[in-house]
Amino acid sequence: MHLTDEQLNEYLDNEIPDRADIESHLASCADCAARLTVLQSLFAELDSLPDIALSTNLAVRFASTGQLVPQLPRWLTLTATLQAALALIALVAAAPFVMNLLPAIETPSFTEIFFRIQSQWLNLFTTITNYQLPNLPTLPPLQIPTLTLSLALAGASLLWLVGNGLLLRKQIR
Amino acid sequence: MTAPTDRDLIVRARRGDGDAFSELVTRYQINVFNVCYRILHERGEAEDLAQDTFMRAYNRLEQFDLEREFGPWVRRVAANLCLNHLESQKVSAPLDEDRDADESQRPEKQVEARERSEQIRGALASLPAHYRVVVELRHYQELSYDEIAAELKIPLSDVKSHLFRARKLLAEKLHAPD
Ligand SMILES: [Zn+2]
Repeated sequence: MHLTDEQLNEYLDNEIPDRADIESHLASCADCAARLTVLQSLFAELDSLPDIALSTNLAVRFASTGQLVPQLPRWLTLTATLQAALALIALVAAAPFVMNLLPAIETPSFTEIFFRIQSQWLNLFTTITNYQLPNLPTLPPLQIPTLTLSLALAGASLLWLVGNGLLLRKQIR
Repeated sequence: MTAPTDRDLIVRARRGDGDAFSELVTRYQINVFNVCYRILHERGEAEDLAQDTFMRAYNRLEQFDLEREFGPWVRRVAANLCLNHLESQKVSAPLDEDRDADESQRPEKQVEARERSEQIRGALASLPAHYRVVVELRHYQELSYDEIAAELKIPLSDVKSHLFRARKLLAEKLHAPD
């Protein structure tokens, strides 16, 4: 019995375990040997295909980018971590102020809260309506925390913007 | 000073060093382009897909196992991308005539060899997309049947049938009497 096409293919691909059986048949059968030769010449032709040259340099694109956006480079990951850390610090720093306010908060009923908020709004409105420039001296105790708070907020926003900006910038296609 | 190894370049590229990755592209662009050209048989498309291959490689660099070799890996990526490209197109194989046919200025021997190359490329291009890629992976990237099956996520039996049928078709086209 002759060798199958599959056996010849597998033989040339080195994917057949019993090579000796194949070889002994090939040695005694001119037909199968001829079929093998045809297949071998196809292999040789495929091997002979030369590489052709590129018309453009594909590397240029990457070189011109200079600093590419790395996949989560350490320093960028650190920026995110830094943001989180700063937020935590800000929270801790703000805690005393919050603590100061806490005693003022009792556990009133909802209507009471509602009423209180309403009256506070009214107070605020009257304060704003009655606001006069010479009254400034009453503000100073508030001014420092307000300033610190605004600075912290501004700083945090800036960091957030810069961090996210960097993340999104220079992304290659 | 010795040239940096691929591995060095990959480590640097992962940190965002564009020049390091650019050097890797310089080393492998001919290989990768020729993978694409053998499968697609169209220069412009092949260059686009080669570029896409390096983009893909760059975006997957973080997952790349440094113990493996970059060259074989990036060539397999190219073969896969070309297959996806062909499958998304689903166009019939275009004619071979109008491709890279600038042979007017060459010596005769060279023209002959070039013509034979073009016949081989034309025969390859006439195969169904899956056949082309299997031939590429077996003959040019020298993967085993099992490796091809894993790479293309197809059964081993399909690898064999694609490959053997592809060879039969190629032999018919190339060894047909003129
Ligand atoms: Zn026989």
